Formats: sequence, structure tokens, C-alpha cells
Amino acid sequence: MSEAVQEKMTRESPVVRRESPLHYVIDTEVSPGESKDTKGCAVVLREVQAKGYLTLRGNSNEASFTDGVLAALGVSLPTQPGTCLKSDDISIYWLSPDEWMLTTPGGTEAELQARLRENLSGHFSVVDVSGGQTSINLSGDEVHGVLKKSSAYDFDELVFGVGRCTQTTFAKATALVSKRADGSFDLIIRRSFADYIFSWIADAAGEYGFKALREI
Amino acid sequence: MQRNRLATGGRIDRQQSVSFTFNGKTYQGFKGDTLASALLANGVDVVARSFKYGRPRGIVGHGAEEPNAIFQLGKGAETVPNLRATQVELYEGLDAYSTSGWPSVDFDVMGSLGALGRLMPPGFYYKTFMRPKKLWMTYEHFIRKAAGLGKAPLEADPDTYDKLNQHCDVLVVGAGPAGIAAAREAASTGARVIIADEQNEMGGSLLASTHSIGDQLAATWLVEQLAELSALDNVLLLPRSTVFGYYDHNFLAVLERRTDHLGLTADKGSRQRMHRVRAKQVVLATGAIERPLVFANNDVPGVMLASSVSTYVNRYGVAPGTALVVFTTNDKAYQTAIDWHQSGRIVKAVVDSRPAPCGAIVKAVQALGIAVITGSGVIDVVGKKRVQAAKIAALSDDGQEIRGEIQTLECDLIASSGGWSPAIHLSSHTGAKPRWNDSVVGFVPGESMQQERSAGAGKGTFSTAACLYEGASAGVEAAKLAGFGDGLVSFVTPSTQELPEEAQQALFLVPHTKTSSRAPAQFVDYQLDVTAAGIELAAREGYESVEHVKRYTAMGFGTDQGKLGNINGMAILSKALGQSMPETGTTIFRPSYTPSTFGAIAGRDVRALFDPERYTATHRWHESKGAAWEDVGQWKRPWYFPRGSESIHDAVNRECLAVRNSVGILDASTLGKIDIQGPDAAEFITRIYTNSYLKLAAGKCRYGVMLKEDGMIFDDGVTACLGENHYLMFTTTGGAAGVLAWLELWVQTEWPELQVYFTSVTDHWTTATVTGPNARKVIAKVCEDVDLSAEAFKFMDWRDGTVAGVKARIFRISFTGELSYEVNVPAHYGRHIWEALVSAGEEFDITPYGTETMHVLRAEKGFIIAGQDTDGSVTPADMNMNWVVGKTKTFSFLGKRSLARSDSARENRKQLVGLKTLEPSTVLPEGAQIVNDPNEPIPMAMQGHVTSSYFSANLNHSIAMAVVKGGLTRMGEVVYCPLADGRTVAAEIVSSVFYDPKGERQNV
Repeated sequence: MSEAVQEKMTRESPVVRRESPLHYVIDTEVSPGESKDTKGCAVVLREVQAKGYLTLRGNSNEASFTDGVLAALGVSLPTQPGTCLKSDDISIYWLSPDEWMLTTPGGTEAELQARLRENLSGHFSVVDVSGGQTSINLSGDEVHGVLKKSSAYDFDELVFGVGRCTQTTFAKATALVSKRADGSFDLIIRRSFADYIFSWIADAAGEYGFKALREI
Repeated sequence: MQRNRLATGGRIDRQQSVSFTFNGKTYQGFKGDTLASALLANGVDVVARSFKYGRPRGIVGHGAEEPNAIFQLGKGAETVPNLRATQVELYEGLDAYSTSGWPSVDFDVMGSLGALGRLMPPGFYYKTFMRPKKLWMTYEHFIRKAAGLGKAPLEADPDTYDKLNQHCDVLVVGAGPAGIAAAREAASTGARVIIADEQNEMGGSLLASTHSIGDQLAATWLVEQLAELSALDNVLLLPRSTVFGYYDHNFLAVLERRTDHLGLTADKGSRQRMHRVRAKQVVLATGAIERPLVFANNDVPGVMLASSVSTYVNRYGVAPGTALVVFTTNDKAYQTAIDWHQSGRIVKAVVDSRPAPCGAIVKAVQALGIAVITGSGVIDVVGKKRVQAAKIAALSDDGQEIRGEIQTLECDLIASSGGWSPAIHLSSHTGAKPRWNDSVVGFVPGESMQQERSAGAGKGTFSTAACLYEGASAGVEAAKLAGFGDGLVSFVTPSTQELPEEAQQALFLVPHTKTSSRAPAQFVDYQLDVTAAGIELAAREGYESVEHVKRYTAMGFGTDQGKLGNINGMAILSKALGQSMPETGTTIFRPSYTPSTFGAIAGRDVRALFDPERYTATHRWHESKGAAWEDVGQWKRPWYFPRGSESIHDAVNRECLAVRNSVGILDASTLGKIDIQGPDAAEFITRIYTNSYLKLAAGKCRYGVMLKEDGMIFDDGVTACLGENHYLMFTTTGGAAGVLAWLELWVQTEWPELQVYFTSVTDHWTTATVTGPNARKVIAKVCEDVDLSAEAFKFMDWRDGTVAGVKARIFRISFTGELSYEVNVPAHYGRHIWEALVSAGEEFDITPYGTETMHVLRAEKGFIIAGQDTDGSVTPADMNMNWVVGKTKTFSFLGKRSLARSDSARENRKQLVGLKTLEPSTVLPEGAQIVNDPNEPIPMAMQGHVTSSYFSANLNHSIAMAVVKGGLTRMGEVVYCPLADGRTVAAEIVSSVFYDPKGERQNV
């Protein structure tokens, strides 16, 4: 019953377009990866095209759990604190010893959840939290200035490279932060805090030259 | 006309003239000047009046230690109080004011009191203004005005301030020779280094030095070092940055003044920036502060620190006088005589307290033809607004007694030096206990309490060569401990050709022919007018602890924290008590080293960014309909939706009637939502709530109340069974995070054997509550795949289905008592579903309503709000909710045992009842106290209080919920609420369910 309900609940609605949390504050719409009017801006914020987000909980000391995740996702669960794995489609972020955040292209979260449920047994939990999150990418020469203004965490390349992630205080909210190979940073933030975080970043980046883009 | 400006020399730019005003008068200075050097260049002697006696005061120092030249800068919104002129860089249009002196610093009414100084001993205010007590506020007003403490701006600050979090392996505090050597060495290992210095230029003592380092002038060497440091990627140089606090875990606060020196409001970025530095290792190269000698009238303008005189000559090209007397206990101050001599002005004499100084520098001074008067001291000063002469007497070998005649030497400048006090402030912040060092004649940093070490003059090491070496060693040590380098110094200490020094003499208070209490005032703490006599008096009155003396005399209480006076004061106290300096000990310095602005501490956490505002997915729709907002935790919730010029009461009455008569819609997305999964989920929930969920079937919902261990209600809400071992728990809006933490706490610490996982889904869902008799008709228009009939989809059921093309969960739960459907969709479809429901409801005049109407409607039904009707001291029985407590559950539930405590179980506890005012239109204020007899004398016996109160448009009557002692057994009785405005409102105790007592309307 539970699985069936879950699956039904998360099936993508074909007719209605998803509205991102920053829909009303970022005017400049772009296609994924496209840039527009960012000349002279040392900080660019890009709200990434809507993704699916799942929270996974389970015991990573049990092989049935880790093997099941591997079978379902094709990648191993990161079990080292503060690490993440990113592939083209799926990213897995370690949140706590028994909790992970998974991202997947928007609309495929139900399918991914079904795959996980198929491959997992025993005590675990998978929850669709797609409506409650958004991803923003921060890039530019002064991105570290914005991060230093916003978080007490040390994001220096020496200590926070690609493959690391942290769920930390960001201004007075929280963000799940990780780094891309191009030196930019991905932040997964909660929907209800998105306006606040956007305003904070726009303010912090103002002195460097700032542009915000929204992928559709 | 800058009459004291030298023709050449200094680090100022004579090509760039800068115009500024001081106390309304315009002066000229040069770029590179401080306000203090420019005032001295212009021959301004009196810059302030003293705190207590109104005595004329001049500039004494050249840095953070300055106690007198503390000014107000600018006017209006941008005015800044308490700035030390010695640390204010001159800029065009700078506008400074003395904060003391009334009507002016040149003519001060309080100054007349100076002659009566003896009448104002320590404790004067306490002793004089004790009675009558009620007049203290009046006295205080005038005392403050007379004291001149500066004014805080009354308008909003137009400037921007921000904060930056910094991480480094090695933080070097101070960029004098030791700091620069430390930074260089640490940086060469690849460690991340930050070097911060409070001055506009880095270099510390080297900026005023005429010596050489290696084969270069100190200034040239400095340029090279700084250029090398700036070129390194792993080094951050922070000039104009004061490390003002050293806190636990090697966390240091640094205030960077970014645009203050430009005198402009920055159009981009911040005026000041607080760097919150987390350093693995710290090198404190904070230098030392010269100590003045204490002698009679030592506060007359023209008495300065010896090093300050040298600094003004060498760094600023300013000679603040014509004829100099140097008074010293040590070799170092002889350099001031040389510097002054080389500036072309007259050195009258060097007065040395030591009986027979014959060091190299003494001989060098004598070789210049300057008189050296040995075994003597300046014991008094002639002059009021400027030094006119120094009175000099021969002293005993230990300097404690006067021997022989007094001679008067005409001069207009006295440079005094009683040695140097290491700036141990930051080390003190860490809790390190300062140690007295006899050869330094000062306190040196105590054993490190954190990952720090001191180097250079801050540690009592004074020669430049030794500072360089010690700095370099500290730098590599710090780097190694941070994981970089091998700890070996690669730096080759350059030769500095410094002269060997003889021992200094430990002299603090210079004797006078009269006792301290009879002699003219001998100032110890200039800023707060504390004299040697005052400290001796405190000792006589029985104060022994240095901390008590500090508080009694106010020594060291000024914004300068006694940087100049403390050691002298402690020495005088030691002598009075007949004990040694280590026995007396020192007061402990605390942050801030120098005052910092509130703006920098607040940073960008101001105005709209002060606290997060959380928005639901339909926030913009509410905004477009003119919603008035209520803050619920950090959420913005629509409070009510006024139409036209409607008042809140009109709007709420309309919304309430609309829900009961047709249909309303509420954004309930802010309610906390927790997804619960696991084989033991039902068992866990049953232990947390007072009722049982073991038999709750999929598709069903149940209301529950949570208790803390003490049996008191702390949250409530509905939990739905989504499927096998899968539940969704709703919490209150404000309680969401606390409940999730509560659940995790219990499963992680007390019941780890229970297999259950929680995930917050609050943000994931948008919840639109459609409620009222027409609710079913509205839902039916947008949902085709759910059988909405009363038989198929009952009250407290939930179904999943498609609403307006979106997969949704629909809950038939009700907080209004009406037929209700709560439609839940992922929040990215939130606005879509909301608009679809509103549009479907148009024909029924669907009315959006806010939290106020929600509150009224639930109060009509007697539904409690956890946190409003409960306050952490009420049980379910108190709330007349025993029906929600499962008496037969096999396992206990949280709080159960406490419900049987004698106090929880007793009769006559405050119980939830309804109140109807006898006068129907009178609405009781929430919080109103309830008594039985309005005529009872005060203090009256309180019976309880009103928890919720509204006007009910549906009942055309005011209604209230209240907790009343034994209230459930007092139905029909009249109680009274005496109000703060003098009215007394009578009300009848009734059932708390005012409307539809059988609950029929929600079951249709």
C-alpha cells in the first residue's frame, strides 16, 4: 500500500508546469547552461532547472542497504561524513550517518523512488521532498567573498574541494553546499527560505557586480 | 599656518593640503596626517576638558593609548563618538568636536571645580548624591553632561557595515618588525596567513624609526617586506584593522575601517567590515605602549609621551613645541632628545631618574651638547593651558624621595618615559594570567591558554633585531603547529646597529615636596581623572584588591581601558599597601581593545535581512490581494484580507460569516509536516501522543496531543496513516522544528530499539484548506477521481486524487468545525492549485481568510491552540480533553506518569472554560486576570486568566476562552475581569464550545 501510494503521489503531472521558489524574484530566464547579461558580474547566481529531490534514510552498516542503493542508482552511497557523489543525472549528498539527499532530473523522482523501493528491504525510508527545495549555483571571481559573508564554514579550495559537501548555516538559514569542478558552488536550499537567501546573496554580491539567472 | 610643521621629513605628502575643522574652526593639514598630528602642527594645545575636574588637556600619545583627544566626528546621522584623534586619518572636510568642555574647551565652567579637586575624591558621587535616592536620575543627567561622554547619533546610520568569516592557519596581529617577520616566515611554509594592523600603514615602530635594518633605512626595508608579502597568494594583509577581541577556540574579531579615512559614505560595499577570524594559530606581535611618569600637574598640555614626540617629529614632520625637557627612567627616551635636536629645536635637558646613567646613547646625547641631569626628576609643572616650565629636583637613588633644591627649567614640552608596557590585552582576553617581569618593569603575557604565542615588544623584547628574530621564530612555530613547514627559521636577522642599553629604573610616582594628598594633582588615569592621591585614599579606606580599587576610583574604566595609567596605578597601590607588584597583580583586560561600532557588530543583519522571512508558495497571490501579514515564527502568514477601506474587525467578521455560510480558503502550508516511516512507526507515535495510533488504518487521520515528561501539553496536531508503517504528522506552525527534534531525541537516546525514521516535509507541501458548507461543491469542480460523498469520504479520512490536473492528497480534517477539505500538493504546484480552487469557488463567493479568522472560528468551536491556550503548565484534563488520553494503552506515553502527580491530579486546577461577557459587545483583552469579587481589596485572589478572546460575528457576541480554577464545575457563575484601564468586565462561565456543540457541521 505504502509503496503504491508513494508512487502514485509522486507521478509527474504532465499538464502543469512546476513553479520554482525563485520564480517571482529572478526575471532573467535562460535555458540550462545558458548565460545572459553577466558581463562585468563577478558573482552570478543561477537557479537551476527544477530537479527532483529525495531524502533517503537507512543503516549504511548493513550491506543490504548499501548494495540496494548501488543497484538502484548505479553509484555507491557516500558514507564518509561531508562527502557527495555527482553523476550526470543523480547526485547523492551525505547529510548525517543515516541520512542522504538525492537529486535527479525534475520529473524522474517517482521513478527513482520506485527503483529504490524495489532494491531496498528492511528498515529504510525514502521521501519525496522535491516541492520543498531548489538548487542555486554561485559562480564568478568573487564567489568566495559571498560565501565568506554568508557562512562560517571554510570553503577554501584547500579544505573544501570537489566531492565535499556540507549542510551548514547560511546567513540565518541553512544550505547544503558543494563544489563543482569549474570552481562554482551548488547550494540546495529550502523553498520557504529561498526569498530570504536570494535577498541576502544579492546584497552580499552587490559590491562585486551581481546577476541572477533562472533556468526554465 | 602650521606653525609646528617642520620643513622636511615625515611620511606626509606636503603636496596634498587637507582642510578640516575642529570645534568649528578651519585648519590645514597634509595627506598622511592624523587628526592629532594636524592639530599639533597647527599649535592647538587644549583639545579637551577632563572628565571630573574640567582641567585643560592636550594630546599625550600617538596611538590607541590616547586618553584625552577623544572626539566626536561629523554631525547628524553620520556622527561617530569616542574616536581617538591619534587614530583618525585626516581627510578633506573632516569635522571634529570635543565632547567635553562647556561652553568650550578653552573656557570651561567645570574647570573652576579643578581648583576644588580635593573635594572630589574617589567615591565622590556615591558619597554626595546618595540622598534623596529619587533625585539620582537628575544628578546623573548633569554629571554625564559635564563629563563629556560623546553623543550617539539619533538618526539611522546611512552607512553599510558587513562581516566576513575568515579562516587561516596563522593570524599575525600587528605589523611591526616582529609581526612582519612572523608573517613572512609563516607564509613561506605555504600556510594561509592573515596579518592585521590597526594603523593606516603597516610597519609599527619602523614608521617613525630613523634607524637602519641591514644596509637599508628601516623605511626602505619595510617597503620591500610589504611588497613581498602582498605578492603572495596565501597572505591576506589587513591594514586599518584592529584585532579587538580574542575569544574561545582561537576565534578573533577584527574591525577593518575601509572608508572612514575617506570621509565618505561608500557607494559600494561597506564602511567597516568585521572579520570573524578562525585561526589555527595566532602570533601576537602587538607591540608595547610607553608609560608616562606620574608627577604633579603632569596633565598640563605639553606633557607627552617621549615616543609620541619622536613619532610626531619623524613620521608626521611635526614638532609640537619649541623647547623640550625629556624626563626618563631608561635609555630609550634619549632617542627623543636626539630626534628633537635633529629637528632643529632646543632640548633643554634630559632629566634621568637614574643616579649614574652612562650608556652609549647617554654619551651620544651628551656629545650633541645636550645637558643630562642625572639622579633627578620632574616633580611639578608650571603652566595651565600649556607647559611653561618644569620643576626639577634631585632624587634619592631609588627615586622615592626628594634630595636637594628644586630648580625650574623653562620649556614648553615635557616628554616623559617610565618605560614600556607590553600590549598584553589580547593575551589577557584568552584568560592567560599576566606575569610581572622586573627587568621589563611591566606585565608580560602569561602562559598561553589558546593556540597563541607573543613575539617582540608585546612580550617585553624591545630591540628591533631581537623582535625580528623572535617574530620569525614565532611565525615558523605557528606554521608548523598548523601543519606547515619544519619549524626552522630561514630568515637571516639583519644587523640593526642598535646601541646596547643599560638597565632602566622602576619608577612610577615621582615624589613631590608635599604628600600626594597635598601636592598638586598627580594624574594616573587621564581619561577618568584618577590621581595618585585618589588611589592612596582608596587604600587608606580599606580597598586592597586591585579589582576593587579599579571600581572605586574608576581607574582604567575609560574607553582607553587604562592603557597608560593602569601599571602606574597598581604600582602606587602596591606601595600604599606595602607589597610587591606581583602581590598586587593586575586587572584583566577584556574585549574590546579599542571601541568598535555597533554597525560593524550588526553587519548586514539589519532591516529586511535582520531575520529570515519564510514564504509559502502562494505568498505572492496573498500579496496581490492586499493581505495584512502576521508573523508566525519566521513565517509570513496572511492575517486577514481587507477589502477597500475595511478595518481588521470588518474584514474578520466578513471572513468568519463567509466560512460558516458558504466557503472560505486558507493557506495552511506553514503547518509543520513530518514524514514517519519504519516498522515501529505506529508504536513510536503512540508513545509520543497521549492516544493510540496502533489501530489507525491507512486512509484515516487522528488528532493527538503531545506532552512533555511533566505531563504538560506542548504541541498538537493530526496524524494520518499513509500506508503500512508510514505516517504523516502535522504539527503547529511554530512547533515544527521543536517537534522534529523531540522525536529524534527520543528515538536516538531513549528508544534506539525502535525502527523509525523522520523526514521534514513542511516545505514540500502546499496546503489549501477549503472549508464551509459549500466546500464539497468547490472540490467536486476540480477533482473527478475521488468519491467525495459523505459515505465514501468521511470526516477524518484522507484520499489521494487529482486536483486541477495535479496529484494531490486531500484530508477531511477541520479546524473550523465546518465541512473541510485540506488539499495538499507539492509546493511547486501550490499557486496553480490555489488559483484553481479560488476560481472553482467563485460562484460560491469563496473567501480567502487569514489567521485571525482561523482563530475566531476555532474559538467558536472551543478548539485550543497549543501555545496560546496552553502555556506549558496545563494538562489534557485542564483543557477538558481527557477524551484524547488513552487510558488503556499497553505502553506508557510521554507524560503519563506525571498526570498522576498529586498536583496534576488535584481538584481546583485551572481548567479551560468559555466566557461570555454580560455585555455582548465588550471583548475581553487576552491575558485579562479573573477574580470572583471585584470589590475585594488588593491583592485580590486570582482565579485564572483569559487565553483567547474575540468578537464572534456568527454568534453576534463576544466570546473568550479562559483557564479558571475549578472552572468546569462553575458553569453559569459570573466572574470579573478588572482591567488596567479601570473598567471591570463581568462574564459568565460557559462551555468552551460556543458553536455547533454536537459537531454536526463537520460531519455532513
